[in-house]
Amino acid sequence: MNKVFCLYVPGDSLLHRLGVGWKYAVMAAMVISGVIVSAWWFTLSLLAISVILVLLTAVPPRFGLQMSWALILVAVLLVAYQSFTGKPLTGVVIAGNLIMAVYASRMLTISTPESVLIDALISAASFLRVFRVKPEKVGLAISIMIKSIPMLLDLFTGIQQAAMARGRGRNLAAIVTPFVVRTVAYAQETGAALAARGLGE
Amino acid sequence: MKTRNHPAVDLALVAVFAALIAVCTVVGGVELPFGVALTLQTLGVVLTGLVLGPWRGFLAVLLYLVVGFAGLPIFSEGSGGLGVLASPSMGYLLAFPFGALAAGALAALSVRRGLKGRYIWITLSGLVASLIVIGIPGIVGMSVIAQVDLVTAFIWNLAFVPGDAIKCVIAGIIAAAVNKAFPALLAAPQPAAISA
Repeated sequence: MNKVFCLYVPGDSLLHRLGVGWKYAVMAAMVISGVIVSAWWFTLSLLAISVILVLLTAVPPRFGLQMSWALILVAVLLVAYQSFTGKPLTGVVIAGNLIMAVYASRMLTISTPESVLIDALISAASFLRVFRVKPEKVGLAISIMIKSIPMLLDLFTGIQQAAMARGRGRNLAAIVTPFVVRTVAYAQETGAALAARGLGE
Repeated sequence: MKTRNHPAVDLALVAVFAALIAVCTVVGGVELPFGVALTLQTLGVVLTGLVLGPWRGFLAVLLYLVVGFAGLPIFSEGSGGLGVLASPSMGYLLAFPFGALAAGALAALSVRRGLKGRYIWITLSGLVASLIVIGIPGIVGMSVIAQVDLVTAFIWNLAFVPGDAIKCVIAGIIAAAVNKAFPALLAAPQPAAISA
């Protein structure tokens, strides 16, 4: 049912035990420096590091390092275009950064449970007090969002199957309209339930 | 008509529509006749603005982005974290909240004015949001990340225009129907949902 959060792999590797803040900082530093420095040797070094990091999470390499065809296609097209304009090394930088950034992010997502990521995000939201935003409201919104995802996914699948049974499986509006109407109703019920408990004010 | 929503209802709408965008991004399974698997991410973003109105729409898309940037795998291809910032499509992604804001503001304006042909105006609002408010930062982002000049990026962007236009027409049909079912949602005064 819950195919959204399928990336975390439980384990006991070095990266699983490392604090989420450190992993996040490593990911951010790699992605941002790769884009800013924009040199082929730097990007290829980061790419090597990102591959090592994914392997350090001790997941099967075939799973950890898999790439979607769409992403490979984009990378190939970018290298081809830049080579065509006489800048093959620029192509290597762009495609390398693209793949490195996917691996660096995956390192974080594979080795950190969703609940830890969410808690880290909620505690990071406390700086919003400066803008007169209540962090607990942000926390509440985040947890409602996370809880709604599997529920909406089931709702969508159910409506899609019903539409297919009526032979309207390709009609996007016939699927998404009831989906959105029921999503609004669900949100209003959730809001009423929160209000009844004095939450979210 | 002018009754204000309870703040808890606004909060729930924002949170549940952030989830809706995540679901639209991962389902993506709706195949178009010409064999392209269509991700519903842009559809979800434009719809969120058209259904919730500008501010709740903006906050819902912002929440979706923030939770994705935090590392939850709710971006396309089941990715999460900051990796998307190295992708040529990062400009589109960062412009999404403003796209929802623009779509919602224009649609709310046309509904409040009571303009005839609601469906047409709602669809046009979505088109402006998608092709201009999201499209222009998208072109700039593509030019920066793929290191090509703006003209080349503009030409590449043209490849996405037909698909995005189709999605906006579909979003207009859906939003007009939802607007009939919940008329107060788009036209009601908009409180800032999460502010204190």
